[in-house]
Amino acid sequence: MIQQIMIHAVLQQSVAGFYTDLVTRPTGRAVRENIERDLPTGTIAVMDFTGVGCLDYSCADEIIAKLVRDKVRVLLLRGLTDSHREAIEPVLAGAGLAALCARADGTLEGLGAREPAPALLEELVARRLAARTPGGAITLTAA
Amino acid sequence: MTRLVEVPAQFDDRSFDQFAAAYAQATDGGGGGERLLFDAHAAEWASPYGLVGLLAAGEAAARRGGSGGGERPLLTAPVNPDVVSYWARAGFFREAGDLFEVHGKVPKTKPATESEVLLPVTPVRAAEDVHAVVSTIQQRASAILSSELGLDPKATMGFAMALSESCQNIVEHAGTGGWVAVQAYNWRRKLARRVVVIAVADAGVGFRHSLESTQAKRFGERWGDAAALEAALIQGVSRFRDPGRGQGLAGIRRYLARWEGKIAIRSGTARIAIVPRWDDDVPLKDGLPAFPGSQVLLIIPEQGSGGPGGSTQT
Repeated sequence: MIQQIMIHAVLQQSVAGFYTDLVTRPTGRAVRENIERDLPTGTIAVMDFTGVGCLDYSCADEIIAKLVRDKVRVLLLRGLTDSHREAIEPVLAGAGLAALCARADGTLEGLGAREPAPALLEELVARRLAARTPGGAITLTAA
Repeated sequence: MTRLVEVPAQFDDRSFDQFAAAYAQATDGGGGGERLLFDAHAAEWASPYGLVGLLAAGEAAARRGGSGGGERPLLTAPVNPDVVSYWARAGFFREAGDLFEVHGKVPKTKPATESEVLLPVTPVRAAEDVHAVVSTIQQRASAILSSELGLDPKATMGFAMALSESCQNIVEHAGTGGWVAVQAYNWRRKLARRVVVIAVADAGVGFRHSLESTQAKRFGERWGDAAALEAALIQGVSRFRDPGRGQGLAGIRRYLARWEGKIAIRSGTARIAIVPRWDDDVPLKDGLPAFPGSQVLLIIPEQGSGGPGGSTQT
């Protein structure tokens, strides 16, 4: 089973005030702790960034890097803007971690460090959550 | 007795050391019994860096306890009506009123009614303040950054990220509040181009004190303000042992490298800068007049054909 996380909704639940930006470590910590409450360790999770404005490096580290490092088996990100990617990529790469990212056409790619990404893709294929296209790309079949 | 701290007529990052020297001299001996008078009556111009730096000095002076048993330091406002009007529009006096006993004619102007003032002088004390700053800047800066500075519209979000991380430096490390201001202006003297400037200042503990417990031993005899700035900006270290820390300044550097921008950080008696091709600043200065806290300057120049210094990096 894939856990679905609508990050904008979690943000609204986690902090006082109506924010659309994921900035500052305290905000990131509050959002991550909110996510962790309902997320069993070792699960596969999809995190949807639709509706999120600015994501800074501190929040990217506090939420994504820490979930990937300590909580989830595979983290699939979608609804990312280019600027979200700019914050996430170096944070994950710097920690030797990787997540997967769903492109607009549905194909998946690694985000962050190069080494762990192929194994994450293979795991989704093995669990029949993703499949190889005739062109060799990998697309999500569920979620 | 009152001791005078003269505010430079052209008050920006270049003249800041002159101001810091005057402040250091006036507070020499650390005595608490003397009140400080910050004299800005002859000021002709101040950059956002100058304005937030002056507030940091005011806070430090008030905190000395000295200022005559709880008395606030004095500040004489600029006499030039255009200058004092601009300081008011930039939001300076809104904050200065809490720190200084202000003398002079100060117009009651609401801050930030013009396009150049992208973010008036704004206090930063907690994460909520950073949220407000980031939200405001996205609303105000997008058009300026793309239409006037020639930055890709996508760069607005990166700008907000850089601003967020700069402000968080106060929240996470200063041990006190600080101020941020963002402004666009024509930088005739240096570039003959428009620039956007982010200035952040606090009168907190500074980089050396913040990093001392985790870094001093590693640097040994070299440890000091300059080594602390080098560790933070160049090596990306943080006082926290958490492996993900130190991302903020590294992210700012990446953003600035992409748009050929500049960052300079002054803390204590040292100043470090990542110097782009269009600038002739020095990368590291040590032995400067001591000044409390940290002061951060980010400059993003107008992009365009030829770009600053002869080419454009995108």
